[in-house]
Amino acid sequence: MRIKTPAQLKGLQKKCRADIDKHPRRVLICCGPGCLANGAQKVSDEFKKILKKKRLRGFSVEALAETGCHGFCEQGPVVVIEPDGTFYTRVKVKDVAEIVETTIKSNKVVKRLLFTDPATGKIIRKYADIPFYSHQRRIALRNIGKIAQCDINEYISVGGYQALGKALTKMTPEGIIDEVSTSGLRGRGGGGFPTGRKWATCARIEESPHYVICNGDEGDPGAFMDRAIMEGDPHSILEGMIIAARAVGAHEGYIYVREEYPLAVVNLARAVEQARELGFIGDDIFGSGFSFDLHINRGGGAFVCGESSALMKSVAGEVGEPRAKYVRSVQKGLFDKPTVLNNVESYTNIPVIIDKGGAWFAGIGTPKSTGTKAFSLVGKVRNSGLIEVPMGTSLREIIYDIGGGIQGDRPFKAVQTGGPSGGCLPEPKLDLPVDFDTLTEAGSMMGSGGMIVMDDRTCVVDVAKYFLSFLNDESCGKCVPCREGLYQLHALAAAVSEGRATEDDLDKMEKLSEMIVIGSLCGLGKSGPNPFLSTIRYFRDEYLAHIRDKRCPAGVCQELIRYEVDADKCDGCTACIVVCAQNAITGKKKELHVIDQDKCDKCGACYAVCKRDAIKVY
Amino acid sequence: MVTITINGKVVQAREGEMLLAVCKREGIDIPALCHHDAVEPFGACRLCMVEITKDEWNGWRNYVTSCLYPVEEGLIVQTHSPKVIELRRTVLDLQLARCPNSPELQKLAAEHGVNSTQYEIVPDGDNCILCGLCTRVCARLGFHAIATVGRGHHKEVAPPLKEAPPDCVGCLSCVQVCPTNNITYEDKGNVRTIWGKKFELLRCSKTGKATITKAFAEALSTRCDIPIDYFDVSDDEHRRQLALKMGSLADWAPKEQS
Amino acid sequence: MKARLVVTPNLCTGCRTCELACAFAHSINRKPGRSRIYPLPGGSHEMWTPVVCLQCEDPACMKSCLVDALSRNEETGAIVLDQDKCVKCMACVAACPFGCSLYDAQHDLVVKCDLCDGDPVCAHFCPTRALEFKPIAPIRRKATG
Repeated sequence: MRIKTPAQLKGLQKKCRADIDKHPRRVLICCGPGCLANGAQKVSDEFKKILKKKRLRGFSVEALAETGCHGFCEQGPVVVIEPDGTFYTRVKVKDVAEIVETTIKSNKVVKRLLFTDPATGKIIRKYADIPFYSHQRRIALRNIGKIAQCDINEYISVGGYQALGKALTKMTPEGIIDEVSTSGLRGRGGGGFPTGRKWATCARIEESPHYVICNGDEGDPGAFMDRAIMEGDPHSILEGMIIAARAVGAHEGYIYVREEYPLAVVNLARAVEQARELGFIGDDIFGSGFSFDLHINRGGGAFVCGESSALMKSVAGEVGEPRAKYVRSVQKGLFDKPTVLNNVESYTNIPVIIDKGGAWFAGIGTPKSTGTKAFSLVGKVRNSGLIEVPMGTSLREIIYDIGGGIQGDRPFKAVQTGGPSGGCLPEPKLDLPVDFDTLTEAGSMMGSGGMIVMDDRTCVVDVAKYFLSFLNDESCGKCVPCREGLYQLHALAAAVSEGRATEDDLDKMEKLSEMIVIGSLCGLGKSGPNPFLSTIRYFRDEYLAHIRDKRCPAGVCQELIRYEVDADKCDGCTACIVVCAQNAITGKKKELHVIDQDKCDKCGACYAVCKRDAIKVY
Repeated sequence: MVTITINGKVVQAREGEMLLAVCKREGIDIPALCHHDAVEPFGACRLCMVEITKDEWNGWRNYVTSCLYPVEEGLIVQTHSPKVIELRRTVLDLQLARCPNSPELQKLAAEHGVNSTQYEIVPDGDNCILCGLCTRVCARLGFHAIATVGRGHHKEVAPPLKEAPPDCVGCLSCVQVCPTNNITYEDKGNVRTIWGKKFELLRCSKTGKATITKAFAEALSTRCDIPIDYFDVSDDEHRRQLALKMGSLADWAPKEQS
Repeated sequence: MKARLVVTPNLCTGCRTCELACAFAHSINRKPGRSRIYPLPGGSHEMWTPVVCLQCEDPACMKSCLVDALSRNEETGAIVLDQDKCVKCMACVAACPFGCSLYDAQHDLVVKCDLCDGDPVCAHFCPTRALEFKPIAPIRRKATG
């Protein structure tokens, strides 16, 4: 059955809503990447098994839904009971029967599965009351966790595709662009280019055909915002793309998904089929005369293909190498034709902007960075997961109020934002608002939303070395500054980490970094030295400790540390002796253990296993 | 026509022309290792970078590869500013670390004041500077026999699967365009070997002088509509034959000899 | 094109002044280039004839160039080689049936007669007018019937 008019869609929405509302209670099981890794599928299967067996009055297995990432990945697998909003954490297969008996049958809670706020000790039942959620404002992530993962009927039940209907039947392409321009939406992939302006430029170009592309190549280590959206709410991306296509005059679009996200490819493909069936993709959409078709492309496992010109080459079947973008992709992009490329999160915001208006969106966030932004908050925070906050929220609020502070109450050292192209910001910068421009001035960048929190046991030299090695590995190799420059910069960082460098080497690194920034062909190279530049800016002393004192203050760089047993704390439990692969620790049971420094290879296994805090690192 | 300023001199350029071509025309020498007029500009070597600004940019400067940057009205270009020189030096320095034994690279680097590299020498480096000229020219010729394979620091020029390339015809264009003479081949007897593939060398049926490979001749004959027997003799023999032909057609008839 | 380099073989004495003039006219950095014109024996009784590019109407050299380095200069009528585009594959050297595309080993270049941009030096120097750069009337083709 194809939907031909907005009125028809409204009718379908009513029906879908009724289908869902006929269940007095719903069980929503988070099947986002984190929870799946923690066994959420088994939990879901157990629910299905039990509910199929027991016939509960007024509750059938159809009231079960597997949703996308709820966001609180630290507490997964997550199960939510609606409409109460009861939030169960760390649910195991053996808990399922109890949940069915207690909560679904008898409307009582299983206390031990509820969230306990570590700051107050309070047990909180509703997720909306949990600080992790109450500080957030979810627009791009609005549906994820609330609707079944890849179900067009559920998407329609919450108003999906109505913005598309409005855009095609009540607005002109120029009107759509105006609305997006008013919203102030800037590219969520990190570039921050005004979306309205990009669409307007493309729409003006006469050469045809035009294309729209969705960049789903999310390659930053630690980032999974786009993954959650692609897996958990694929229809919002589709809707956003079709609206964009209408605005810029494109009839064909591509979604480029990184090779490492097979579930996203599957869910997007299913979503496309579902949308096609209802007539949202194909000919004469909503009877407007506008036609649009969508293809899904998989990447080949290259970070550099997240760069727009490399991505377009990859879609065209060529090697994904960037080109100098003096002639922009809006003029000559895919197949050398005018192309609009936007990030997953950018497209997801579009239906809301059309529905509620650009002015509403512009009222959120800051004047220059409107709306909200999704972040993947990971690292040494207590509450790691997927969050969304208005632009302008401070780093402190994100890390402490939402993130719950540092694990083990260790001192905060730095937060790495923006992925490999970003940088590390220290404690004095925590009150900076997160937006497109402020973090860049401070030497980092917001980027696509990766946020890695570090404590005092993180060595910034080691972090710089890691990111440089990543970028060197992912460089396409076309231009000299990036290919050779990052290789040499990494070699020098390794020398610092291993205590082989001199202070002249630091000068060398700084000069080389400047040349790489100026000389590189694309963004990967141009922002490549950032891991080094931002850490040397704020943590110069740590570099100097490695160079002058041959010491790693954080106790990480293997060549510069040593492990020793603290005689006061050791109780001779032999746990460390057992794990030492080099047989470097000697000592009898209940007697002081000793580490032979000549044999020790600094692997840190003893440090990890000791429960008496008796192994010290210097 | 567009008016720009290069190193203080006001010049005219055609709309859409690249800065490098304009500079060349004005007699300004800019190094450009990965550039060749037979193929599209590539922007890989970064040596042709220049500093650009405009009055309305309030002192903000950009650094662009002149081979790929189209002229714009009012552009102010500096081809040898201190930052640009430093960039060229850094690029050559980095290349020397990778190809320490290339005389051509050493010469170019020395011209820019870089006599040795300050960086760690890359182990197992050869003389390939990864300018891509060989692969781009091969594609331009329509053979697509070789390409750059691998990513980043492991990038190298190689035939598919690093085996004898099925599409190579042994024309040696890659050898000719390589700026560091890194590509080798061997002509021995009637056999040419390059990229691990053997070719039959055509020899002039009259003088025995080697001309081109049989594979190349066949490709030219098929693609360019040239009779295959044109390739039977060498160019000097063609000239001799033309002279004889013209001689026989001249007014001075042989029968007048005494 | 308005003029053609006309060769009258029976006037050629084989003095080779044309060859010398051509080589010097195409010097690079004061080093003479390879001559594009060669007086060669005509086959009988002291007959000599200068062999030079015929600027063919259906040129094999231009057809054989896979990078479009050879093109016709409409003004002079000459087929000109753009050295910046040439990749020295030797296709034209092998393809020309008259051997008039040549390899200059001294300068590592492929060269051919370019009619000196419309004023051929060889014609100026030929003492016997065996070489002349003469204006030609447009060829009128008879309709085939």
